[in-house]
Amino acid sequence: MNDVRLYVITGENYHPGRSVAEVIEEALRGGADCIQLRDKEASKAELMEKAQTLRELTRRYNVPFIVNDYLDVALACDADGVHLGQEDLPLAEARRILGPDRIIGISTHNIDQARTAQKDGADYIGVGPVFPTGTKPGRAAVTTSYVSEAAAEITIPFVAIGGITLDNVDHVLQAGASRICAVSAIVGSRNVEATTRDFLSRIVSRSNGAIDSSLLRVTVNGKQVFTRSQNVGQLVQSYELHNKRIVVELDGAVVNRDEWDQTQLRHEAVVELVHFVAGG
Amino acid sequence: MGVEDQDLLVIGGERLSSRMFLGTGRFPSPAVLKEALDVSGADVVTFAVRRINLDEIGDDSVLQHLSGKKLIYLPNTSGAGNADEAVRIAKLSRAAGLGKWIKVEISADSKTLLPDPIETLRATERLVQDGFTVLPYTSDDPILCRRLEEAGAAAVMPGGAPIGTGLGILNPYNLGLITEQSNVPIIVDAGLGSAQDVAQAMELGAAGILVNTPVAKALDPVMMAHAMKLAIEAGRLSRQAGRIPKKQYASASSTPEGSLFAAASPSAT
Repeated sequence: MNDVRLYVITGENYHPGRSVAEVIEEALRGGADCIQLRDKEASKAELMEKAQTLRELTRRYNVPFIVNDYLDVALACDADGVHLGQEDLPLAEARRILGPDRIIGISTHNIDQARTAQKDGADYIGVGPVFPTGTKPGRAAVTTSYVSEAAAEITIPFVAIGGITLDNVDHVLQAGASRICAVSAIVGSRNVEATTRDFLSRIVSRSNGAIDSSLLRVTVNGKQVFTRSQNVGQLVQSYELHNKRIVVELDGAVVNRDEWDQTQLRHEAVVELVHFVAGG
Repeated sequence: MGVEDQDLLVIGGERLSSRMFLGTGRFPSPAVLKEALDVSGADVVTFAVRRINLDEIGDDSVLQHLSGKKLIYLPNTSGAGNADEAVRIAKLSRAAGLGKWIKVEISADSKTLLPDPIETLRATERLVQDGFTVLPYTSDDPILCRRLEEAGAAAVMPGGAPIGTGLGILNPYNLGLITEQSNVPIIVDAGLGSAQDVAQAMELGAAGILVNTPVAKALDPVMMAHAMKLAIEAGRLSRQAGRIPKKQYASASSTPEGSLFAAASPSAT
């Protein structure tokens, strides 16, 4: 969970007419780095089918897959872990069933619950709902002050969750969160991939401290690399190509040479560096 | 030389002094390429756009070997499998400030490298709209060539034979129809093998030729470049001079009257 920055939870009521696999794959392409299946309506059989589909999908993208509530489903589909609420199976029981290697995440709504979860061996906690949210109607928002408390005290990874959108994510990051969880803002978005990418870039550019924010994961000429370059000009320079006659394409669009230094690199950017070779 | 002075080839507003377009691939060395280029007199050179190999950044850039010459760059879209990819490559090369000429080259088959006619037409339409000077490499189909011209191609480049085969002009009939009907220059591209094929292309009415492999891989590339330059001139002059029609049977070039060995007059028998 240490590497997770953007945790996406399914919410099928937010995308009527589109399959959960389709929407989640778009989120994965946009850079979501942890997926949770949450579905309180489906039968066990339906849930199992979805779990298996998402298990395969997240494996392809090499991203952890978490099942909400159901330990049996998590085990049956070989998920990486489960997420439990305060009223679900106690953590110790869940750990006994799942063993030491699977991830267990716990929802917490105040610092006491967070301390307990950490003490009992949770692998991460959810901190929220930060803002009022449609996925948990009636629950009072904990506001960003609990985010700050958690950031100051909790040593296991925590994910800020609840009503977080592109409009308010900066407040949450400022309060000390370095991992964000979103549901409706992402799966209910008209362009899931782009929205996911926007979230990630906000997280990357705002987060300091726990995560090395200067390290970006980008794809250069088809290969995934980590770079400390902040913009296209620095990236080109890192390959010592700045004096060569080359052309740079960023996410499918050409970046003119005089704009290289002003063009920021984002997490998951796709860069092509091309040159001119002999040919007919 | 007198003929060439008034006989300029104009493509996309550019006046070209040579009717030879030279590809830059497969030469034994940059030095040989440079010499062959000098001898050929070509104004237009072609090259490809590729990803840089970041694991091993050798200097494969062909342009550094050409710097200092006044040339028209004709990047090709080789490697593109459809119109979208070709358009993307064209934009990359234009962004490099190498001019707005583009050779659309979209292969649909790895064995023959024959051009995909539908995607070639699509790419040509889109790139013309986008302000490029488009020279599509195409199969030697007269109707397709007409469609490309209608789409706004600055010149149309039918192949003589598949790329690199050196088989010459496999369908001179089609090529003749193409040059006859076209209002834009026809540049015969691909498949030419020697000076003979070049002369044939010009005699069929081509405005020029594009060669790479037959020069680059000739035993003496520079000498072959020279031979082809002469063949262009010879073929074009021959075309302009007007050849005789082909006939089934012999026709003597001197009259039979007065032959010393003609049969005696009937009165002698």
